[in-house]
Amino acid sequence: MLANAFKTLALAALVVFPFAVSSPYYLHLLVVIMIYSVVTLGLDVVFGYTGEVSVGHAALFGIGAYTAGVLAFQLGIGFWWALPLGIVITAGFGALLALPALRVTGPYLAMVTLAFGTIVQILINEMTFLTEGPLGISLKRPVVFDWRPLADTLPFLKMSAKKMADVQFYYVVVIALVVTLVVISRLLASRYGRAFEALRDSPIACDCMGVSVYKHKVLAFVISAGFAGLGGVLFSYSELYIAPNNFGFDLSITFLLAVTMGGRKSRIGPIIGAAVVVFLPNLLADINMFRIAAGVVAVVAVAGGGIHMLRKPEQRARTAIPVALCLAFFVFAMFLERITDYKLTIFGMMILFVVFYLPNGIYGFLRAALPAGRTGGAVAGNEDAAWGTAAAASGGAALLQVDQILMQFGGLKALDRVDLSVRAGTVHGLIGPNGSGKSTMMNVLTGIYAPTAGGVKFLGQEVAGHTPSEIAGRGIARTFQNVQLFSELTLLENVMVGLQHSYSGSMADAALRTPRERREENAARDRAAGLLRFVGLDAVAHEEARNLPYGKQRLLEIARALALDPQLLLLDEPAAGLTAPDIQDLMRIIRKIRDHGITMVLIEHHMDVVMSVCDTVSVLDFGQKIAEGTPAVVQKDEKVLAAYLGGSHDTVAA
Amino acid sequence: MEILGQLIVSGIAVGMIYGVIAFGYQLTFATSKTLNFGQGEALMLGSLVGWSLVAVTGYLLMLPIVLAFGLLQGAIVERLGVRQAIKTKSEAGWIMATIALGIIFRNLAENIWGRDALKFPSPLPEAPLSFAGINVLPMELAIVVGAIAMMVAVEVFNRRSIYGRAVVATAGDRDAAGLVGVNTSLVITFSYALSSLAAAFAGVLIAPVTLTGATMGGVLGLKGFAVAIIGGLSSGFGVVVGGLILGITENLTGFYLSTGYKDVPGLLLLLLVLSLKPSGLFGKAAIKKV
Amino acid sequence: MLSVQGLVAGYGRVKVLHGISLEVSEGQLVTLIGSNGAGKTTTLRALSGMIRPEAGRITLAGADITGLPSFQICRRGLAHSPEGRRVFANLPVADNLLLGAFTRLTGARPKGDVLRDRERMYELFPRLAERRAQYAGTLSGGEQQMLAMARALMLNPQVLLLDEPSMGLAPKLVEEVFSIIARLKREKVTMLLVEQFAAAALDVADFGYVMENGRLSVSGPAASLKTDPAVRAAYLGAAH
Repeated sequence: MLANAFKTLALAALVVFPFAVSSPYYLHLLVVIMIYSVVTLGLDVVFGYTGEVSVGHAALFGIGAYTAGVLAFQLGIGFWWALPLGIVITAGFGALLALPALRVTGPYLAMVTLAFGTIVQILINEMTFLTEGPLGISLKRPVVFDWRPLADTLPFLKMSAKKMADVQFYYVVVIALVVTLVVISRLLASRYGRAFEALRDSPIACDCMGVSVYKHKVLAFVISAGFAGLGGVLFSYSELYIAPNNFGFDLSITFLLAVTMGGRKSRIGPIIGAAVVVFLPNLLADINMFRIAAGVVAVVAVAGGGIHMLRKPEQRARTAIPVALCLAFFVFAMFLERITDYKLTIFGMMILFVVFYLPNGIYGFLRAALPAGRTGGAVAGNEDAAWGTAAAASGGAALLQVDQILMQFGGLKALDRVDLSVRAGTVHGLIGPNGSGKSTMMNVLTGIYAPTAGGVKFLGQEVAGHTPSEIAGRGIARTFQNVQLFSELTLLENVMVGLQHSYSGSMADAALRTPRERREENAARDRAAGLLRFVGLDAVAHEEARNLPYGKQRLLEIARALALDPQLLLLDEPAAGLTAPDIQDLMRIIRKIRDHGITMVLIEHHMDVVMSVCDTVSVLDFGQKIAEGTPAVVQKDEKVLAAYLGGSHDTVAA
Repeated sequence: MEILGQLIVSGIAVGMIYGVIAFGYQLTFATSKTLNFGQGEALMLGSLVGWSLVAVTGYLLMLPIVLAFGLLQGAIVERLGVRQAIKTKSEAGWIMATIALGIIFRNLAENIWGRDALKFPSPLPEAPLSFAGINVLPMELAIVVGAIAMMVAVEVFNRRSIYGRAVVATAGDRDAAGLVGVNTSLVITFSYALSSLAAAFAGVLIAPVTLTGATMGGVLGLKGFAVAIIGGLSSGFGVVVGGLILGITENLTGFYLSTGYKDVPGLLLLLLVLSLKPSGLFGKAAIKKV
Repeated sequence: MLSVQGLVAGYGRVKVLHGISLEVSEGQLVTLIGSNGAGKTTTLRALSGMIRPEAGRITLAGADITGLPSFQICRRGLAHSPEGRRVFANLPVADNLLLGAFTRLTGARPKGDVLRDRERMYELFPRLAERRAQYAGTLSGGEQQMLAMARALMLNPQVLLLDEPSMGLAPKLVEEVFSIIARLKREKVTMLLVEQFAAAALDVADFGYVMENGRLSVSGPAASLKTDPAVRAAYLGAAH
């Protein structure tokens, strides 16, 4: 409610602004803030959500701007064509960068985008036949329609031709910003946004839910580049003159600073940040204003820090450092004389301060200071809606056939020519002492490791060596020994990541929230709620996963895995760390899953669990299979006893 | 043919410099999986400090002071920019912090030494030597020798001294290194110090051939990146080959295409290597653990 | 020599140990047994500073070492041969052993004759002698395990923590490892041995603790634990 009122008010203020303020300077300033906001909102998709750092958004921004500039200057093509072309071309460059750079995890995207930024500047400078090089390109502002004849009846429209063009362009930018906000909000609220957040929390679980981390990272970057392109086109028509040095390294850092300072993972944060960085040069141009600003910051820091210290005395030392830094900065400001010379030093110090002492940005800081908003809530889940159609296999044929798997790490044979056959509709236990190769087997089956030799046939098709997300797509789901949840998503959203496969709509559907998208989203939500009910977590469906007690986290993992509609479910030590009542719950759930026709492989150390739910048990030791059979038979096997209790020489015959 | 030879020979010297910078990236990446985005600035600072000293002390006496300065500068970068980010496991944190420190260093340098390029007096004769029609500056030979000597020295330190082995151990398994009594966070600080030392050394090696100045760092730091990826962030001497490939390719591009495009092949090679062999030409793919 | 009172520790929000108290006297071999996931490895990790204890007190030879980083605990004479071996794969066997004596070579602990001690390790583990120039990453699992033990011994530790030295080893090698442990015991090395092979561990140990779900359930002289049905139940479940 409050949020909607705020949005309406903000929009109304933007609409009347040009008529309330006569100064073209402020109109232009607001236009630049909005254009920067388009870029920072887009950057937040990559930087805030997927956690990758792009140091090349100024270059993408420049590509958008130069698309507009070159089209106008070389071909006489105007603003309305430049708008879509700028977006598409920039997104294309984004793909060109992201496809190789995101294949590996690590700081590669940052390195590649940094290099890209330099190269783009060089190319714009050098390709004079296209870009006029350092001379730059001038443009003319478009007029949408000439409203001056109407001024007789509507006197507020009375203005000069130049002012009219300014005002009309202002509205174009307002619309662009609103569209950006709507599209990004919708995308991030859709399955794409969930995937972006999920892949950051646990890339491995994300892949194992059939949601390719690589694909979604690239997608996030391309979307982000598209908005940088949009911003660039608008920028060229706002400044009416572009030159290569508008789009340097410092601007890229400015965008990053804006997102961090404003507050990542929010709509309002990047806009706050954009406003701050647009005002920044003005601030740094005038020593008196700068001193006043530093003074204000110091006062706010002392006040805020003081309140924080009173509230949380145990963090006193940690709070004191940033407060002291703010004060020191104020003293520095008073002594500083030639401010323009030290502009960049101040800029750099601001980045350091924000990164280490304001990591959640201004918006995050305010949000933490205000009373908490979202807390857990229930959903009405219907268990019958939970089950998909894919499963329902019954006993008999082998669903999974592992053939002479060898997995070697250096001199170490973690799996030494193991065969395994899992019949459809059964629960197949996999036990063995520590280091016997159970977890390695799990990782081979789900594609995390490519085996050194041997094959894995699932439903008659070879899956060994395929990527985890491909294998998940074929119907093998898993849980993890060390719980791998998407900790910042709610329980419901966690399960919905597993339901990604149930959507048929495109990204455009998600961005526009078409009826199809809504239908699919609702269906997924219902199923997720049903699955949560199945594991008994529907009462806290809107709680963030990280707030869940450990035992419940394991159940949530099972619900999420079931969302894949798997034919085979691999459970990796689901009872580890559970209390006795939790374990009873777990066994009930495992039996119910089997009743729905889903085949399971269960790695477990709690023998009570293994003995009571498994149909067949295989025992691994030293990477080899040493026994197999019904639980009762395996439990009495001398070799198994020896493997567990050790070669106590007199009691056990080898 | 002679021109081609000439281009290759002068590409070698600059390629070695790229190799040394990339070597610096490797040092910190090995121990902490982070690297200094302000490495170019470390080079620039070393070079400018050397410029100020060389008139007073002469080239040879200047070297140890510059190297000590490099150590100190690297340690400062690690303490201010990287340490806390490693603790909180924030990748964005160290990337932005080292960039910010780079910006600050560049700005301070501009205020101390001005914005203009400065001529660095060459310690060796500036008349080229001629071999089979190919001209080589004595300083270019010094670059090759110096760069190799430095990398070999670090390698010997790592393989022969107990402290060096502690560095290698930290790179291999940080927890296990702690268990045998190695103060691993100190090792990370040291690797940053060593990395900046390498950069500062590269700075005083290349300055007599080119020019020096507050803005010299950015592009060189970037070339170092490209070479580190081409050669492999985890492969010792891969950076030498990577550096030579880039240095020579650039010279050829500059001559046969246009000097303006000289910096372009670095990025193209970088993208190409990342698409075809992301761990670098000489790197080994890592096994991920669950 | 090593004394633990009320140790609570875990990973992030997950508590694994709920108040562990145990004693290891000088020259004694104490074993900590229990099924997988009981918290044995976590106990050792908390003792050697790999994870920070949330509560409790750990003293080594009378000095409080609670909450110190692992390198400082090592400098006070506690060696830990960790789970999963954790040898330095990128260094030769000989260098791995030298690094075990890092604190001695750098003056933090009495130096003694490091090279002679290394020769002694080669004698104790002849397989390592054959492979001394080889990179540790190329060793087989059993050889890596021996290297991890030897590396820890190179400290001349006051207390040696051994985490599942039998893990993933072939039966013949398991016997070999246990005979080495027995030999170390005769040489009066103070040890805390974590094992899943309960019978073998109790065969060599003086005293044993049984761990279940992050708590110590049974303790007593090793010989009496061997026949205790509770120990068997802790592994394979009560149902037969």
